[in-house]
Amino acid sequence: MMRRWLAPLALLFWATALSAQDEPDPRLVRAADEVALAYVVTGDSEVDAASEAGLRGLSQVLTARTTVEPGEPIGIDPEQDDLSLLAFLYWPVTEAQAPPSPQAYVRLNHFLRSGGMILFDTRDGDIAGLGGPDGAAALQALAAPLDIPPLAPVPADHVLTRSFYLLRDFPGRYQGREIWAEAPPADAQAAEGVPFRNLNDGVSPVIIGGNAWAEAWAVDENGLPMFSIGSGFEGERQREMTYRFGVNLIMYVLTGNYKSDQVHVPALLERLRQEEVVQ
Amino acid sequence: MSGLTFDPLLSWPLVGALALLGVLVALWSLWRGLRGWAWRGIAGLAAAAALAGPALESGIRHKLSDIVILLDDRSASQSLPGRAEQTDAAVEELTRQLSALPDTEIRRVTVADDPDGTQIGTALTRALAAEPQARVAGVIAVTDGLAHDAPMLPASAPAPVHVLLTGQAQDWDRRLVIEEAPAYGLIGKPVTIRLRVEDQGAVPAQVAQTPARLRILLDGEEMRSLDLPPGVTLDLPVVPEHAGQNVVSIGFDAPQAEVPELTDRNNSAAVQIQGVRDRLRVLLVSGAPHAGERTWRNLLKSDANVDLIHFTILRPPDKMDAVPVDEMSLIAFPTQELFMERIRDFDLIIFDRYRVRGILLPQYYDNIRRYVEEGGAILVSAGPEMSTVESLNLSPLGAILPARPTGRVYAEPFLPRLTEDGERHPVTAGLPGAPAEDAASHWGRWLRMSQVIPDPDAQVVLSGARDEPLLLFSRVGEGRVAMLTSDQVWLWGRGFEGGGPQLELLRRIAHWSMQEPELEEEALLADVSGELAVTITRRTMKVTAGPVRITRPDGQTEEVALTEAGPGRFTARWTAPGPGLYRLEEGDIGRVLALGPAAPREFEQTVASGAVLGPLAEATQGAVLRLSEGMPGLRTVREGRPAHGQGVGGPWIAITPREAASVSGMTHRPLLPGWAWLALIAGLAVAGWLAEGRGRLRST
Repeated sequence: MMRRWLAPLALLFWATALSAQDEPDPRLVRAADEVALAYVVTGDSEVDAASEAGLRGLSQVLTARTTVEPGEPIGIDPEQDDLSLLAFLYWPVTEAQAPPSPQAYVRLNHFLRSGGMILFDTRDGDIAGLGGPDGAAALQALAAPLDIPPLAPVPADHVLTRSFYLLRDFPGRYQGREIWAEAPPADAQAAEGVPFRNLNDGVSPVIIGGNAWAEAWAVDENGLPMFSIGSGFEGERQREMTYRFGVNLIMYVLTGNYKSDQVHVPALLERLRQEEVVQ
Repeated sequence: MSGLTFDPLLSWPLVGALALLGVLVALWSLWRGLRGWAWRGIAGLAAAAALAGPALESGIRHKLSDIVILLDDRSASQSLPGRAEQTDAAVEELTRQLSALPDTEIRRVTVADDPDGTQIGTALTRALAAEPQARVAGVIAVTDGLAHDAPMLPASAPAPVHVLLTGQAQDWDRRLVIEEAPAYGLIGKPVTIRLRVEDQGAVPAQVAQTPARLRILLDGEEMRSLDLPPGVTLDLPVVPEHAGQNVVSIGFDAPQAEVPELTDRNNSAAVQIQGVRDRLRVLLVSGAPHAGERTWRNLLKSDANVDLIHFTILRPPDKMDAVPVDEMSLIAFPTQELFMERIRDFDLIIFDRYRVRGILLPQYYDNIRRYVEEGGAILVSAGPEMSTVESLNLSPLGAILPARPTGRVYAEPFLPRLTEDGERHPVTAGLPGAPAEDAASHWGRWLRMSQVIPDPDAQVVLSGARDEPLLLFSRVGEGRVAMLTSDQVWLWGRGFEGGGPQLELLRRIAHWSMQEPELEEEALLADVSGELAVTITRRTMKVTAGPVRITRPDGQTEEVALTEAGPGRFTARWTAPGPGLYRLEEGDIGRVLALGPAAPREFEQTVASGAVLGPLAEATQGAVLRLSEGMPGLRTVREGRPAHGQGVGGPWIAITPREAASVSGMTHRPLLPGWAWLALIAGLAVAGWLAEGRGRLRST
């Protein structure tokens, strides 16, 4: 009898303890200070290790090539950690993962609404060929309670294709056909003389794909790739493109539609024209 | 209303037949040579006439009195010197003369002052409609003739309309006419007010030659003065200097002459131009992509009045990769163009976590400093890089920044708090959810800030960790600089520990930097509610605010005490005694307030004139006469006759008695009584018989 009363009481105490001015988690404070990349801990130690190594690899690439210099990646448990200090969350989808609790979903939805972004990775390269963002049953189960806007395959003129590098596709360890993001509004029109539609001014809260990006980015302590990609020169080229996708993705998370701004269009236009001539 | 009617005793054919019979008998008698034939015929006809029943019918009539409408104009223009007395005297004299006339009633109509001017037409139309047309014998209007509702004047009237004009023959006036004035203008862009000076009436020769010396004041500050001859149209360029009401007052002194002009109330005008800001151009320079960058973008891109030019340093010059440039989406930062050539196009430059890393040349920083000193604005949102050797403070820009970093970074959670200045400062005052002692919930905390030493003249409005300055403002030359010593305002937007009003705070900081008048620390505001009720608000960073000194249009001053309505806010309610241009002053801050119509309509035209009422008078054969030439006599004439003229004793005007009457019943009287008819017919018959009988005697 007492137990039935204790559980809500404990919850109440826990909630009041949270709202009090206790010290925020130092890992998260560091993440906020250093723009650290974060991944969701799934409980599958192999996947988690790959996620951490992947984000570390991506952080190194970012530090080497751009002004973004993220700190060490951190693993996040959506059940406990305050997501409001994060900007980006990598979420590998595993079959074994237990679905988050309702409180965690409240936190995740707030994270998505307030400008955070989650990259869902089914890590299967869409081998089943279902082609949709909900092709994987596990992802479907995981994402159903989230406030996700209508999705569409990332179009060729999405800002993700030019937030740092110019990209045509978004390979990871696999070269899946499509990745999905928030669908452009129906009234998005191509401005005159501009090859890009002026797409949603907000930033898509989720990117969904299955190219096992973390594995492609992953490096060990010596800075060497942990997983093989393709074969020979082609494989290394694909790994480079994977890094470029990672850089573009983080730039998209941090700068939003910066590259859509008109001010950049004339110069980009010029460059694209040159590229067409080269081909 | 009287006449002969017939009321036949038999039907008309029988009466006719009887008359015919009488005529036939007479003819037969003539043929037979009877000498009484005429008498017989007349007797027959008389009998027929008696049967036809002739009767006299007449109405019962009552004579009705005549109505004279006596209209006196008491509008403001009639209050000019002498006119009221003239009007009183004329009305009194007319009343006396009209009451002396038999069967004449006077209907008094008084045209009072109206915000829309003198409404004589309306009053006249209404008065005529209220009276029976047939009884109106005349209309006499005592006025200066300056009606503002000419279209409402009746086209005609059933009786003469006389206009007796007040004023003197030597009346003259010089006035200012605003032909065209814009209601809105872009700040800093000239707008044109078209105006002229107009002379009216008998202008003295020495005045007609001299131009008017116009004094033009913008918000009470002397802008320029110039000479403008009467009749010449001037296009006056005016530059609205700030948002909100810009009051341009234009006026000239009354010209010196032996006979002064009628009034100086139309010698000045106040034109109110609503200053509107052009689209604001904001240059946002992010030193590196970071979690708070999208906060700035969300703020500035959602503001419809802001054109955002955004540059982020995506790759520093010292980092390279092997990727060919044509596979990159990077463009060179057009620093020369932005910071040298086009810097004055921007209203605000935001340095968002900007690190000095050799991208901007020292002369660019010098140029930015000049830009601020000349009225530009910069806002520095600094992360920990401010405490490093790459700090903006170590660039030439450092000289104008409101604080110097010590090199120390507080990496600890802290709650932003309003300082004492912050509670008064319009940027931070009233931010929702500000930490207060008794409030249960408050803003979320931030996690990192740099320690700075503020300049002595900088204002610290927010404090952070260990009460160190978090948000600082300073003024440099004509420009402004704002500095946020933490980059973590985005945590509020993310809802960390409940978050805070991050968009509102950043919006206010940005707009304060761009000198938005609503966010001025020292401001004297006047909200006009209703006609003349004014709420005066003094916003100040000082602890007290003295009374507001109000200078009335006539130069008198009064003082209105202010009561404290909140930190830095002092208010008072005040009602102006009348329309006009008021000057409000408190300390060294002042503003001009225009209440009511700038130049009252009543005083646009002041020289009495029959131009408006003349056509109506002419159409009704009435007269337009000047009272200054003597009070006209009053006569009565028949309808249709000229109703005015020049008599021996002077001009006269006339009313036309209408002889209207009402019919209250009818009388019906037989022409002759029955016995008289009998006697008449019998007499005629006897006469015929006698004539014939006497003739027979004579012939036999």
